[in-house]
Parts: sequence; C-alpha cells; structure tokens
Amino acid sequence: MSKKYQEEYEVAFSPRLVMEEASRCLLCLDAPCSASCPAGTDPAKFIRSLRFKNVKGAAETVRINNILGAICARVCPTERYCQAGCSRSGIDKPIDIGRIQRYITDFEDALKMDILEVKEDNGKKIAVIGSGPAGLTVAAELAKEGFKVTIYEKEAKAGGYLRYGIPEYRLPNAIVDREIDRIVKLGVDIVLNTKVGEDIKVEDLRKDNDAVIFAVGYSQGKMLDMFKDNRKVIKAVDWLKKTKIRKGNVKVPENVLVIGGGDVAMDVVTSLKLLGCPHVTDVVYEQFSEFRASKKELMNAQEQGVTIIDGYVPVATGRGGIVKFKHRILPAELKIKADLIILAVGQVADVDGLGLTLEKGEVNVRGVRIPDTNMFFAGDIAHGEKTVVWGVRSGKEVAFEVKRFLGGKK
Amino acid sequence: MVRKDLSITFMGVKFPNPFCLSSSPVGNCYDMCAKAYREGWGGVVFKTIGPKHYLIDEVSPRFDALTKEAEPFVGFKNMEQIAEHPLEENLADLRRLKKEFPNQVLIASIMGSNEEDWEELARLVTEAGADMIELNFSCPQMTSHAMGSDVGSNPELCRKYCQAVRRGTKLPFMAKMTPNITDMCDPAVASIEGGANGISAINTIKSIINVDLDKKVGLPIVDGKSSISGYSGKAVKPVALRFIQQMRMNPKLKDVELSGIGGIETWEDAAEFILLGCKNLQVTTGIMQYGYRIVEDMKNGLEHYMDEQGVDRLEDLVGLANKNIIPAEELDRDYIVYPEINKDKCVGCGRCVISCYDGAHQAMEWDKDSRRPNCNHDKCVGCLLCGLVCPVGAIKPGERVLKAGRKEKNLKKMVLQDTMEKL
Repeated sequence: MSKKYQEEYEVAFSPRLVMEEASRCLLCLDAPCSASCPAGTDPAKFIRSLRFKNVKGAAETVRINNILGAICARVCPTERYCQAGCSRSGIDKPIDIGRIQRYITDFEDALKMDILEVKEDNGKKIAVIGSGPAGLTVAAELAKEGFKVTIYEKEAKAGGYLRYGIPEYRLPNAIVDREIDRIVKLGVDIVLNTKVGEDIKVEDLRKDNDAVIFAVGYSQGKMLDMFKDNRKVIKAVDWLKKTKIRKGNVKVPENVLVIGGGDVAMDVVTSLKLLGCPHVTDVVYEQFSEFRASKKELMNAQEQGVTIIDGYVPVATGRGGIVKFKHRILPAELKIKADLIILAVGQVADVDGLGLTLEKGEVNVRGVRIPDTNMFFAGDIAHGEKTVVWGVRSGKEVAFEVKRFLGGKK
Repeated sequence: MVRKDLSITFMGVKFPNPFCLSSSPVGNCYDMCAKAYREGWGGVVFKTIGPKHYLIDEVSPRFDALTKEAEPFVGFKNMEQIAEHPLEENLADLRRLKKEFPNQVLIASIMGSNEEDWEELARLVTEAGADMIELNFSCPQMTSHAMGSDVGSNPELCRKYCQAVRRGTKLPFMAKMTPNITDMCDPAVASIEGGANGISAINTIKSIINVDLDKKVGLPIVDGKSSISGYSGKAVKPVALRFIQQMRMNPKLKDVELSGIGGIETWEDAAEFILLGCKNLQVTTGIMQYGYRIVEDMKNGLEHYMDEQGVDRLEDLVGLANKNIIPAEELDRDYIVYPEINKDKCVGCGRCVISCYDGAHQAMEWDKDSRRPNCNHDKCVGCLLCGLVCPVGAIKPGERVLKAGRKEKNLKKMVLQDTMEKL
C-alpha cells in the first residue's frame, strides 16, 4: 500500500485487533513494562483494563499519568523502554504497547472523555518558557494543582518540536492540537509569537510570577563548518519545520543526500520518500550495530527504499553539491553529488537573552532549580535523554519540585 | 475521572461494592481474604466450613481447563471440596477478618450433613462475627451424598436445613443453588420457605471436560482414574443467567434477593447479572486465572456504566432486563432482518458463505472474481449467522421487512441485536 506524508504511517488498531494484541499480554506479576517508562506510564494496568473491557478505565490510567499520552503513544521509541523487558518476548515478540496506547487515547478523544480534574486556584502564578513536551507537561501538571500557568512561545503555534519537527506521518498536527486543547482547558494560558529575552524580559517574568520555568528545548540544528554558506545545504530541523507547516507541499529534488543517523535523520529521509523523492541517500557516522535511531523509524526508512550507508564521515565538499566521505575504520572513500544536502547532525538550544549558562547543552546546575532563585529548567536543557518521553518525565519532575518550593496556598 | 458510589444493600447488609469472592479455593484462609479485601473486594464468602466430624482429603491434581483455539481457559473443572483447615482455625480466621476489615462484608459459607450440624455451624460462624451466612447446598464433588448438590436438588432437605440454620442464627442467610437440576425454583422456594433471606446461584455444573485419548480417562487423572466434578468459568455464564432469570420470573421468588455467580470476569458480565436481578456478585474462576486484581476493572467499569446510564445508585440498575425476557411464544415473528454487508470492510474470506450454506439457508452467494458475498433475499431467513461468523464485523443487521401477509403490530423502534452491534 502506498503511504503518504499527510497520513499516519502506522495503521491504527481496530477494536478487534487491539483485543487480540491485549490478549497476547501475559498480565505478568511485577510487570517489567510498568517499571521502565521514563514518564511513569503503567502499561500493565491499562492493558489489563482493556483486556477486561474497561477501555474508559484504561484511558483514565493513561491520561492521568501523561498529559501527552496520545503523542507519546505515537512517537515514543517503546522498544527502548516499556517493550524492552516484555515477558512476551520469551514466546515471540513484545506487546505493541505504543499502538495499544494510541487506540486507548483515540478512544478517549472519540468519546470526548473529560478525565482530568483541576484543584482550586491556589493564587500562585507560574511562567513557562517554551511549549514543547517538557513545557506543556510542567504547565499541565501545575495547572492541575491549582497554579495559574502562562506559557510563552516564540512561534506562531504551540507544540515546539512536536508541531514543527516530527513529521505529519508520524505525529499529525491534529493530535498535537487536541493535546494542547486539553491543556488549555486546564486553565493554562499560551502566549504565542513571544520570544522571552527579546519581546519580554526574564526579570519581568520573575517579578510577575512565583516561579519561572525554562523549557526551551533544542530548537536549532547544528551546522558543520565545511557546509557553512553552502547553498545546497539545509539543516534538518529547518527542512522538517518548513515541510510540516506547508503540509508536505514542498519541492522535492531528484536526489537528496542526508547526513546523520538519529531519529531526526530518519524523519527526514522517510518524509522525503513519502513526498516522492526518487533518490534519498543517508550517510551515517555510526555503523549499523551502534545506530541511534529507533528500530521502528529505521525500519520505516528502509521499507521506503532509502539508501543508508553506515560508518562514513564527511571530510570535504566540492562544487555543485559534492560531498566526500571517508570510512571511520576501513580504508574506503565515497563521493556523492546531490541536488540537496540535509544535515541531521544534532541540535542545540537557543538561550539568547535568557541568562542561562549551558555546559554540553545542559544547565550546569545540580537539580532543576537555579540556586537562590525562583527559576527552574526542564526538558532538553536539563540532564537526561533528549526525547519526548524524557521531556514529559522532566516536566513532571519540575512540577513536583516547583510545588514543593512554593508550598501550598498563598 | 469517574466517581460513582457502588455500595448496595443486600439482605439488609450494606456492601461497599457488590463484588465478593465466592466460597471456593480463592477464599481459603485469612491471608487470601485479607489480600482480597485490600485489593477492593466488597465482600468475601469464606470457603465453606464443614462439621468437625467431616474430614477433607483432597486429590492431586484437582483442576483442568477447557480450551478452544487460542483461548486457554474457556471453562474450568474443579474437584476441590470444602475448607480443609480445622474448624477452629477457620473460625479464628473469620474473627480476625471481621476485626481487621469491619467495613467490608464477611460471609460464612457452611455445610452440614444433618440438622444438628447446620444449626451448630450457623451458631459458630455467627459467634465468630460473620455478617451473613451462605448455605452450601450445591457442591457437586463432595465425597458424601448427605452433603453438597445432592441436598440442593432435594427441596425438602433444603427447607429442613434452612429451618435448622434459622434456629442457630439471627443473621441473614442465603441458600446456594446447584444448576444440576431441571428447575431451580423448587429448591429455591423451599429454602425461602425454610427461612432463607436470599438465594445465590449458580454453583458448578457436573462435568467431564476432557478425556485423555491415550490413557482413556477423563482429566485430571488421579492414579489412572477421574471423576465427574464441577465446571465453571466464562462458559457457564449463560446457564447461570438463565437460572437467575427463571427465579426472577417465579411469582414466589420475584422479590427474593439474589447473589449471582457464574463466569463473571468483567464489568460487563457483572452488569448482566445486575440487569437480570442480582444485587450481589460472586467470583472464583476469574480470580483463579487472573488474580484478585480483576476487581479493579470490574468496579471502575461498572462506575463508567452507571455514568453512561445516568444512575447514581447501583440499585437502580437491578432487574432492568427481566421484563424483556419473555416466553418464546410471545416473540414477534412477523418480520425478517436482512444482513447488511459492508463490502469495503469485507476482506473476502467467504466464511459467511460457508456458514450460510452449511449451517443456514444457502442465501449468501459468492462472487468468485471480486471475492465478495451477496445476500439473496429470496432465500435469506434473517438468521444473521453470517454476522456472527464474520471476522471483521462487516455484516450487521440491516433492512427489516415484514413477512408476506403480516401486518405491523408493533411500531416501536427496533432494538438491534446487541451482540451483532458489538462486532
């Protein structure tokens, strides 16, 4: 079946199929899946609810734990977390937990369930900078606790990398919208087109709020020196953003070279294929055995016919889109000429005007609060993995710390 | 987040929720019952306590399961009898459970072999602090014919033993019925006349569920032999529901309080028993397979159901389905509901065609080229077997047509077959 950029790549479970999948679950004692989600998800409980026909209860379990449950269901590299220790692997293969969670959150949306409750206003105000996974989560968690939360977002719409990065076939913006609507319904205000540090000062936010939380994320793509000012080169995050905003209506050349082997690179190469690019070549620094991309995304890329060359590092560029590579270990060289070169070699945070000092991309402070201030930080710039589920984890952790710091009612 | 009050009063005692362990291996000692209470069960029927003189000596192995295709546990066979612990130990467990879990209901199940036993056991469990008593008239695998289902199929013994129990206690008590009988109403009426306050049903069905083809013996095999014994689990639910309905329809039993037992695993099963008139529910096989934890989803699911139905008291759902189950001769036989085939949903397996030809009326025709079925209305009788076998739910009840020469009597909106709707 031919896949399209604007349609979800993975087919949703039907009610029968989700029950078949839930029936594969062994309903283990001390279930490994429930001990391995960074965001604290309890798959053993929601799969059991589903199995015993309590889909609404399953939706409550997912949603109360994770305000971005429908997003995580789609984008989480579950093979590294909940599915890694699945006892069913002793028989054949792990339960498809992500897809089950997607069924449950789709069900929740279809029935317009209203699961979350908000505690009485405690009179305290919080400012959150950034509306990516960590920012949304910390805002929602604090709103549920009765804080008045305002998110400041520099872009025209909220969602950060969820909206502007992860391609439509993997995470439709309609899903991002629904999750954000739910957060707004909890009482969170989102101020758009406002860059803190430029349009509004951090000092003013600190004065007007009881706490300020930096959740700015890694929004900028990295550039390699040899590609600077090369007109054939675009950074992956920029290309993904443009493509998602235009709903896939972008010009795709005949022959594209992508450099990088993480999930962002996989998003780029698979998007290119789904948009009809005939020749997509991905050259990756790591060898297959050490690949960073999730297995599922790598599989999708391969299924779409992307040429993946592993173990090569770019060493020089030539005119007209030529890049020369050398193998990291073997005495081998490679020369590729492409119409477009997309760099997916990592991202960094944009902390201009925020007064933050980063060390190796993270705030160089122990814990989640900048000492002797009411400023906290969450998400990519905090210590931990740079994934959506870690953003959720970090958002929950910071919400807990903010609540502890500010105490109860004013 | 749904929050509904599941509490319900049964035989004068308020239960925090209607879910109870039934008298069986799952409530065999203090530790088990305490764990069940902690996991949220509304009540416990402690495993049947027998007289001091009756010694329990169990076989090994003692269980077996009926499977179908990939389902590991359609039905379950059990050869265990009543509590094997000494009487004093059981009474001590009852005392401790009531002391530590005063807000959850403690039901003592008892079984005697004569009137003296019954009266004495009733007195003892009352003194131990039970909130109510269940009389086990129904275990089908006792090693004494003076006990168990041989009693439950004899209305006079039921009456006599109820009278004996009434002499021994002031507590409310229910008589647990055996399904190994044509009409359960007879022993149930006799029990009520003898003083019982309620009826619980059903106990297990006498069964042989598997035969070992090499050894030529039923399962489980005990030293080369096997016995008939009780069958339970999901497979017996239809039988249980039928007995419950029949008792609710009996003029002498229609207001008697019922505790439903038989294949309850999900909130949907529970709701079915409630809609057919049960105020209390008991579970064993589901727990043996999955653990006490199944109560979480039964409770939460039932709360959601109450929310959907717009009721705040569980009691308001009790018996709502009874009036809609009527004698076969009273059903409207004037129309046919033809199947409606969703050709896009259809995956072209042809199972409907096979079943219609071999099991129905040869109405489903097969287009070999498109691999799609088509219903010939000249032959179709509207049995809808096709919809039941379709693996993708592509066949639903469709157009409803009056049979030739019949008049529309009933203009009420037709209720589509629920089982088909769920597909």
